[in-house]
Amino acid sequence: MKTIKYISVLALTLFTATSCMNVFDEPEFNVFPFGNNEIGEANTTIDELKTMFASTISASGVKEVTDSIIIEGVVVADDAQGNVYKQLIINDTTGAIIIGVNDVGLYSMTPVGQRIRIDCRGLHVGGYGKMAQVGGLYNGGIGRMNQYLFPQHVRLIGAPDRTQREMTPEVIDESFFTNENKDKLAKYVRLENVEITEADGTALWAPAELDPTESGIVERHIKMGKTNIVLRMSTYADFANEIIPDGKLNINGVLTRFKDYWQFVINATSDIEQIQE
Amino acid sequence: MIKSKFAAFLLLCLACITGANAQEQSATKTGDGKIKQPPARMLYADTLLLKEANAVDNVITINDEGNESYTFSEGQLGDDDDYAGTTAMVSSNDDYFLSEVGYLFSPMRFRVRAYESMYNNVYANGVLINDAERGQFSYGMIGGLNDATRNKEGATYLEHNRFGFSTIGGASNINMRASQYAAGNKVSLVGCNRNYLARLMYTGSTGLMQNGWAFTASASYRWANEGVIEGTFYNSLGYFLAAEKKINDKHSISIATWGSPTERAQQGAATEEAYWLAGTHYYNPNWGYQDGKKRNARVVNSFEPAVLFTWDYKINDRMQLTTSLFGKYSMYSTTALGWNGNAADPRPNYYKNLPSSAFDVWDIEYTPTEDELSDYMQLYNQWTSSKANRQLDWNYMYFANRQANAVGGECLYYVERRHNDQLALNLGSTLNIEFDKYNTGTVGLNLGSTKGMHYKTMSDLLGADKYTDIDKFSVGDFGPSSDYVQNDIDNPNRRIGVGDVFGYDYDLNVNKANLFYQHRFDKGIYHLFAGAHLEGTTMERYGHMRNGRAALFSKGSSGTAYFLGGGAKFGLIMQFDAYNTLSFGWGYENRAPIAYNSFIAPRMRNDFVQGLENENILNAEVSYSLNAGPVTAKVSGYATMFNDCVEQNAFYNDSEAQFTYLTMTAVDKVHYGLEAAVVYNITSSLSVNAVASVGNAEYRNNAKGFLISENEDVLHYENVYMKGVKVDGTPLTALSLGVDYNVSGWYLSANVNYYDRIYIDASRYARLEKVVGLPTIDATTGEEILNIPTQFKGKGGFMVDASIGKSINLRGGNRLNINLSLNNILNNQKMITGGYEQNRGDSNSQGEARVYKFSKNPYLYYANAFNAYLNIGFRF
Repeated sequence: MKTIKYISVLALTLFTATSCMNVFDEPEFNVFPFGNNEIGEANTTIDELKTMFASTISASGVKEVTDSIIIEGVVVADDAQGNVYKQLIINDTTGAIIIGVNDVGLYSMTPVGQRIRIDCRGLHVGGYGKMAQVGGLYNGGIGRMNQYLFPQHVRLIGAPDRTQREMTPEVIDESFFTNENKDKLAKYVRLENVEITEADGTALWAPAELDPTESGIVERHIKMGKTNIVLRMSTYADFANEIIPDGKLNINGVLTRFKDYWQFVINATSDIEQIQE
Repeated sequence: MIKSKFAAFLLLCLACITGANAQEQSATKTGDGKIKQPPARMLYADTLLLKEANAVDNVITINDEGNESYTFSEGQLGDDDDYAGTTAMVSSNDDYFLSEVGYLFSPMRFRVRAYESMYNNVYANGVLINDAERGQFSYGMIGGLNDATRNKEGATYLEHNRFGFSTIGGASNINMRASQYAAGNKVSLVGCNRNYLARLMYTGSTGLMQNGWAFTASASYRWANEGVIEGTFYNSLGYFLAAEKKINDKHSISIATWGSPTERAQQGAATEEAYWLAGTHYYNPNWGYQDGKKRNARVVNSFEPAVLFTWDYKINDRMQLTTSLFGKYSMYSTTALGWNGNAADPRPNYYKNLPSSAFDVWDIEYTPTEDELSDYMQLYNQWTSSKANRQLDWNYMYFANRQANAVGGECLYYVERRHNDQLALNLGSTLNIEFDKYNTGTVGLNLGSTKGMHYKTMSDLLGADKYTDIDKFSVGDFGPSSDYVQNDIDNPNRRIGVGDVFGYDYDLNVNKANLFYQHRFDKGIYHLFAGAHLEGTTMERYGHMRNGRAALFSKGSSGTAYFLGGGAKFGLIMQFDAYNTLSFGWGYENRAPIAYNSFIAPRMRNDFVQGLENENILNAEVSYSLNAGPVTAKVSGYATMFNDCVEQNAFYNDSEAQFTYLTMTAVDKVHYGLEAAVVYNITSSLSVNAVASVGNAEYRNNAKGFLISENEDVLHYENVYMKGVKVDGTPLTALSLGVDYNVSGWYLSANVNYYDRIYIDASRYARLEKVVGLPTIDATTGEEILNIPTQFKGKGGFMVDASIGKSINLRGGNRLNINLSLNNILNNQKMITGGYEQNRGDSNSQGEARVYKFSKNPYLYYANAFNAYLNIGFRF
């Protein structure tokens, strides 16, 4: 009897004493757990930055930023779907610029719609094939910044919001494609009523078979009137093996250049709208 | 007097334990901040050189214990192993070697003859209770129930026993009849610095009462808010209840039920570089801070409630029948971090986060560029400047999900729970017959039916709003809108909330029947033993999801595979006189493969492995025992051949971004060696002993490999260069020299143990024909040389253990037992217990060399540092 008493007392004690040790509440974020919350107000627009480094960019050179230059913009292209890789493209009311970061999964902190500031001091600005980029040194030219530099040079502003003004691309027509405008790239734009040359109802965006050299890139083309724009597609994009929509399209994306060629970068398939006829 | 002595003793013990903790902390501190800033160049490589020169002690301060793999990655399926409990429970009542080695060499996870634990049968009251899917006994089932399961008998493969058929690793039978526990009560308290820090245990038994009833109960609780490994915890309850009724002289029935609900956090292995950066061999990458609190991503939850009915029927003086029915419902799950979409790998020790990914530190000739050196230093400083930096960043993961929520995106980071549940019903019946004074026989039947349920659920979405059940690895190959990416086409794009099943969901159904007979003949100097058995096995996979990559072969039944096996064994013992005994044994077994290895990609498809067949095991051994005055000695030699085995590895293939299964068939292995034990009684209270196990266990051939990835349905056939690879995770050389002293209730023992030839799990992937590549031609000899990786081998070393105990008889027949065990007194922190090579080659798909050398960075587990275990038992 005594034994049974001991057992029941012990059992009761143990059952009440035992509770789950692995319970955690969702953390509250009073400050952003990522980035450099000390970075002050923006003092330079993206366009002003491009102008300041215009000669370096057009010479495909590189220069370290030694002055206090802080730009601010909203992310319009990220690496969520893998077509853009190790890059972000940010846009303010004056234009867009590529931020090269040697890291993956950038969209986890800075998704499309996130407003960020970049403190450019200590980073490099240059031209990759004359295309303006903020990043780091690579083989004597402009490349991506080290993954550890990014959190030191970026500040998140507010929560991601895809309804912000900077998220609305500027509708352009064929008249935009001038040399003067080419020097002002990148630009977040909307192309209306265009076609993708390769689209035939079966062609895929960027299947690995079309990339025998494993460069990771398959070139497609947008035809806008008489202008041909190279559409750079990554074989690593989530949608690389999906069918290219055919017919007339409206496409949002970032207009860039490589040397003297126009290029276009799409971020996600949702950037493409098929026009119902 | 007794009291003050006891208090002093207790203080001493506490000092030992806290001393060990203090040392651990100081080691961690060193890891935190005090590692000297490196000279400008190639610090890691320099350190490796230093290590070679054995001068590393001043550079590395290391610290404590070991377990297996990490998140969604290397060695993934293998991680279900309860690594802490795989030491075989082989014991034999008459064999000093076997009765000693299990405990003696347990800090190094020694396995007798390097056999896998599935070759060891565990019975309870004569019914087999091994897990039918994986073959081995689940020690978690009896966790914390040491007193309730202590009463057991063991037999080697070639020894006669009265309870069941033993396989090559031997067998043991736990006696769980309520009347077989000593009447009275016992409370014991353990304090230690291991996986848990404290254990409270109570066991009480009425003994067999006059009314024919006996009751026994035991309960225990094991606890650690943080175990000796940082970031681990332990929370485990154990209960055991048994009743027995002796109906009359012929019949007795008993029932026992037990379980051990446990929640514990695991340690993960890391590379030597990570250990070096963390300043300790006990660095645990599994945890990270969440709001300042340590949170572990790998938490095991297990509860395997079991019930056992036994009917003992003494038919007459010469015949006894024991029949037991065993049932269990086990719930076992492990959590793991998952990352979705194109989110970055969150593991702190992911290779890209390690300094040696900056440039080739192994090439001493190579001078890094300024950028490379700067990257190296960035990463080095990242690791060494704060402890939080080298652990998981939970806040980052929560914040990433919050960002995704803001834009309506998919969950990026989550914690999944992988379940391996099991319902098992086993029946065992054994009839013991004494034919005459020379002949005894045991005939038995074991029937078992097991349903293993394998699935995963969402444990924690880490604040995310949305998770869709698709296979992220397939998205790039087929596009997000393809059926191929669906984990369950019948429920496409299912939104997963906490607790929902996703990813995979299937059952493995295994039925087994085993009929055996064992005979023993004793006459004069001869003792003959012979046994034979027949075994039938059926297995089936039943899928509950229609996987997009295997739409026609995933849902429903795989069909049933049947295997018929059996074996025979024979032993002869010649007891020439009172001193000398010589014995021989031989056995052959033809055995069904385990269900766990029998499907090419069990998480997604129904297909059986092609060429699936029974494995063949041939065993021979010889031993000589001497029992002369003060000397007792035994030396044995054994050889075991395993032929036509099936083995499977499942892992995330980082090079190809695919979750991959690699199955090998026609695997041949050989285990052979010598075992010796000698005890010399110098006086009646003082003895010295020596134990040795020196053997070899290796693969004899290059196996046939099948490779299949979860995101495709193409099977690749490749040879796997396994010939010469050693069996891992146990020292192939283990030696011990000990002394026992025993006087007026005190007992003291000390052992010096030496271990060597400890190998780690060789990557099958790295030994695949296509990964090894074409042979190169030796310029001088013209010979073709294959660039097969060299299996990593741990360095040998000594470990010293001691224990001291005292038994005090108190008034009223009560007794106090105190025992203190000190393990690894020399605090040797350089002994690996095992580990695994990385499943990744050193060159990329274009054949170019990668900067980071996977082949030189195996994941390792180290044996516990100095640790103490104080057990105080009070019997009343």
